[in-house]
This record gives sequence, C-alpha cells and structure tokens, in this order.
Amino acid sequence: MSGTVKEAPGQAETPFLELHKKFLQDTPPPGAVRGLAEAALERFSVLGFPHRKHEMYTFVGTQDLVGQAFELSGEGATPEQEFLRAQVVPGCENSVLVLVDGHYRADLSDTSALAGSIGVVPFAEALSDSGLQNYFKDAIDEENDVFAALNAAFMADGVAITLKEKAAPEAPLQVLCVSTGSTGGPVLNQPRVLIQVQPLAELKLITSFCGERPNYFVNAVMDILVQEGGQVSAAQVQRDPFEAWHFCKTRVTLAGDSRFFTVGASYGSRLVRHHYDARLKAPGAELSLNAVSVLGGQEQVHQFVRIHHEAPHCTSHQLFKNIVDGKSRVSVDGTVIVCTGAQLTYSDQLINNLMLSDDAHADNKPNLMIFADDVKCTHGATVGQVSPDQMFYLKTRGLSEKTAKELLTKSFAASVIDTVRFPAVAAELKKSLLKKLEA
Amino acid sequence: MLEIKDLHAGFDGAEILKGISLSVNAGEVHAIMGPNGSGKSTLAKVLAGHPSYQATAGEVLYQGRNLLEMDTEKRALEGVFLGFQYPVEIPGVNNAEFLRMAYNARRVHAGEEELDPLDFDEILDEKMAGLGMEAKYKNRSLNDGFSGGEKKKNEILQMAILEPKIAVLDETDSGLDIDALRIVAGGVNKLRGPGNALILITHYQRLLEYIQPDFVHVLSRGKIIKSGEKGLALELEAMGYDWLTTTNA
Repeated sequence: MSGTVKEAPGQAETPFLELHKKFLQDTPPPGAVRGLAEAALERFSVLGFPHRKHEMYTFVGTQDLVGQAFELSGEGATPEQEFLRAQVVPGCENSVLVLVDGHYRADLSDTSALAGSIGVVPFAEALSDSGLQNYFKDAIDEENDVFAALNAAFMADGVAITLKEKAAPEAPLQVLCVSTGSTGGPVLNQPRVLIQVQPLAELKLITSFCGERPNYFVNAVMDILVQEGGQVSAAQVQRDPFEAWHFCKTRVTLAGDSRFFTVGASYGSRLVRHHYDARLKAPGAELSLNAVSVLGGQEQVHQFVRIHHEAPHCTSHQLFKNIVDGKSRVSVDGTVIVCTGAQLTYSDQLINNLMLSDDAHADNKPNLMIFADDVKCTHGATVGQVSPDQMFYLKTRGLSEKTAKELLTKSFAASVIDTVRFPAVAAELKKSLLKKLEA
Repeated sequence: MLEIKDLHAGFDGAEILKGISLSVNAGEVHAIMGPNGSGKSTLAKVLAGHPSYQATAGEVLYQGRNLLEMDTEKRALEGVFLGFQYPVEIPGVNNAEFLRMAYNARRVHAGEEELDPLDFDEILDEKMAGLGMEAKYKNRSLNDGFSGGEKKKNEILQMAILEPKIAVLDETDSGLDIDALRIVAGGVNKLRGPGNALILITHYQRLLEYIQPDFVHVLSRGKIIKSGEKGLALELEAMGYDWLTTTNA
C-alpha cells in the first residue's frame, strides 16, 4: 500500500500542519500523548492526502474536502438542550457519553445506569497505561489511512471506556458525537473513542453522529479492543446534515472467542466515509458487519473494509445494502485477508445495490486474499432496479405504483435494519431513514 | 360479467393469443385447459394487466367497461384477482402488513374507512384458520421461503381477503400434494357465490374433481378449440390433448 503514498507533504497538507501548530500552542497535550501526536503528524506528512489513484480512495473524491480552509472547532460550545435530548436513544438516558465537537463532555454525560460495570476516563488519562501506549504507537506506525493519522495527530481529547470483566449491563451505552457546526467557515473536529471490553464482558453499544448546524468535517477514530470471550453488539448511526464531511475509522481487535456484531446505518451527506479495520487475532473470534445506506440528491457514502483473519477458526460476515437515488454515490471496497495459517476460516460478504435513478452511482469491489488452503470464503455483489415481477404482483393486489415501489425499496433496506439489536434504534431508522424513500 | 371478444395478444411482438372469445357470467366457474405453451398463462396475465403483455386486437369487457384500458391496480381494486402460478417472493415485506395494505386499498377504493391492524387481525386469523394456515405465516416475509403449498395457500388467502368479483387462478393446483389440494380447493369453493365468477387454469382434471366447473374450454395454440360442460375434462384426461389437436388440425 505504501507504493501509492506521496513522498513529501504538498500544498494541500500545509494548512493542516499550520492547524496542528496552533493546536499544540493552544491546548498542549500531556507528555505521553504529545509524543504520539507528534509521531502521528509525522505519519500524516508521509502519507499525504490521497490523489486520484490512491488505492484506499479509488471511489472517494477528497479534493474538495482537503481544499477547504478549516478552523479547529472550539472547545466550549454546548448544543441546545432540546437538540441534545432528541439525540439520546430512548433507554440510554442514564447510559450516554457525549462528545461535543470531538471533546468529551462529562458534564453532559450520564452513565449512572452502568455504574459498577464501566470505567470512563478522558482519553489522555487512559494513555498513562504503557500497554495502550504501545498499542497506539504501533497503530500510528502502521497507519495507512491519512485521515486516521490526522485524527491521531490531534488526539489529546476524547474518551476511553472500559467494560469490566464479566460485566454485562442491560442498558446499551450510547456514545453520542455531536458537531455544533459553524455559521462561518468550515470547522474540523476529531472525536476519538477507545473502548476496551475485558474478558467475558458484554457491551451493548450505540454510536451516533449528528450535527446541530452544518459546515463541519468530523474526522473520527474509534478503537474497540475485545478481550477473550468478550462481546460487543453495536449499532453505528451516521446522521449528519448534508453540508458536512464525515470520516470515521473503526479499528476492531478481537481476541480468542470474542465477538463483535455491528450494524451501520448511513443517512449520507456530501461525503461520508467509513473505514473498518478488523483483526481477528485468536481462534474463535467472530465478526459481523452489516450496513445500510439510503441516499438521494448528491449524497455520498463510501465503505472501506479490511478484515484480517489472523488465526484459525474465525468467522466473519458482511452484508451491505445500498439504495441510491438522484445523483447520489455509494461505494463498498471490502477485502477479507486470510493470513497464512488461518485455517478453517469462514467468511462471507455480500453487497446489494438498489438503483432508483439513472444518475445514481454504485461502485463495488468485493475482494478476497487467501493465504491458507482450508477455508470457506464467499463474496459477491449485485446491482439492480426494483423488480418488475414484484411490482406487478403488488399491483395485482391493488397497491398503487407509488405504494408498491415504496414498499419494495423499504423492504430492501429493512432486511438490514431488522438485524439491529436495539428496538428503539431500529424503530427510529424505520421511521426516519426509510422516510427518505417516500416520494 | 366478463366478455372476451376475439382477443389477440402477445409478448415482445410474438402473438400468443390468436382470437379468443369467452363469456363468463356471475356465479359461473370456467375451466381452461390445454397443453403446455397453448397460451393459458398469457391469457391470465393479459386479464390482470401484466405490462409485458400487449393486446393487439379484440376487446375485453368487465362489467360493461373496457378492462384493457384500466391500470393493473385499478383492475384489482375493481374486483379482478389473479392467483399466480408462481407467487412472487418479497423478502422484507411482512405478510400480514401487506395483506392489510391490500385489504385497505380495496376498502378506500370502495369509499369505506381503513381497518386498523387489530380489527384486521381478527379477519385474518379467521381466514387463515379456514385454510389451515399456521399463524407463523402472518409475521414472515411475503412468500419468502414458503413451501410451494404454502405459497398457493397464501394466494387463496389473499383471494379470501380481497373477495374479488372475478378470480383467475393460474395453475393453482400445480405443486400441491393431495391434502394441500383438498384444502386449497375447499377454500376456493367457500368463495364461490352467485355474485362472483371464477376462471380456473389447469393442466389436469384432478383439480376439477374438487372444484366443479360449469364449463370447460380447451385452449390450443392461442385459440379455444373446444368448449363443453364438465364431462369434457374427463374425456380429455382419458384421451389426451392430442385427440383434440389432431382432429381439429
């Protein structure tokens, strides 16, 4: 991958280097973090912003984004209470962690329902742990995504969550990332979340990204480390206004017999990119990644997925469903890497696209790299329109063209939404995400 | 009720129906039999308004109005029902919800109020029990993963709920075992009445033992080559379609 990397920082990177100087001056991070942040900035400079042929950004045009003159989001903004309350998933009123413009806000968070099960500290504080320091040092050294490196360069703030051994709280934890946006020029905020699940603990997790006002770039990184026998069931909802850029890298590390299930739902914006990097480190690890995007107008959502099967007897499932209307664009670039020795791997991947207009665009690149000889791996992609046979069937039962089409497009997305393990989230998605399909 | 006059129709420019005339009155059951490729299913699709099939000549009057000019959904709302030979699977669409939507579309069209889910559920339970359908089929996706028999039962369930004036059942007997055939036929018989009519499309006489037709028509190469009473079906069963196609050729 390094073959496509630029050799020296160019014009596009310079404003971000200037921002970083300002960041170090205004909010100097504590010692250990500062070292990492500087290493990350170095990595950012080496990687450079992607050009058109960059493998990781084949389908994602970032020229417009990196050409913006961003300011850093300030620290003190507090969203309107009413807005904030509306973003809290019913049932998470006492188990919600709030980040505003990338800054962890203890004053707006409430985790009383999880008392005794979880520990929550500011990110910089968690980095006093030398094991974590090494983890992040390695992550920065190996980082191949320039935007994740950019986030790491600004990593002082954020939140670190630990679910204690064998804890299995009933209430889901909601990590709510609010961008307050800007009424002037575009602003940049970079949330960072670390989640550690200790052995045999089970976490129910909802991550929600939303914006109070438009005109921002939210560039998030989330590290999820699941130890032996631990489990995470997650729903990840992206719901920014159109005039926003949303990048998020989710890095998942799975120990033996641990599990990570997630369902992503994207409303789209002018540019959304999800990067999943998952490593199944020891036998028995299992990962399931489902995602649904419903797009219209000029909205874009891009998924970049790398799943590394590093040990035998691991399982991964992926299902993507995209509905594109208007001039929207979607892409899924997903590779499953079965490393040498990862025998008896089971992996499947399916990408389904429903095209509702002639001008919508879907790029798919399902890919397998297998270095073991006793594995079962499948992958595939479909692109289609609403089935005329299904339309005819529904119409012969008296449903109008409009109703029939709506029913069929909604059902296409519903099959992923139905895999969301939180009824309140699924209900909201059915209400609002699928509402985008109503004419 | 239904008057088909010299109907020519086809698919993709090929003429499949080459002049069919048939008159169906309220209260009657007509069986249309014929060998593979004779145009039986085409007739069903043309009557229901499949967009890929075009009538090129002739006319079809339904209750005195030009049926061919009506949209597919309009025909359904006015009481025309097609029981599919191969019911379409629609994953993600809840069966009960779909049935209620179809039922309410009909009610709204008739100027009545929509029924809420609870009230509809009572009707649905009763109709499903009548067809020996298990309650689990309510909450499954429409026809998705249903066995052949359950799909056909689901077609008849839709017919029972929509109470059409004229139903065209396209090979409803195919793929059914004897028990399922008896149940499905029983369901159809319950829906027979002086106010509605039925067109049964079938290969075999077997179905007609359970649903007694008033008239039997033999379709071959796009034309009705013989019509008669129910005894004709028995003759066909004994002598095969060759008997007619060769004598009429």
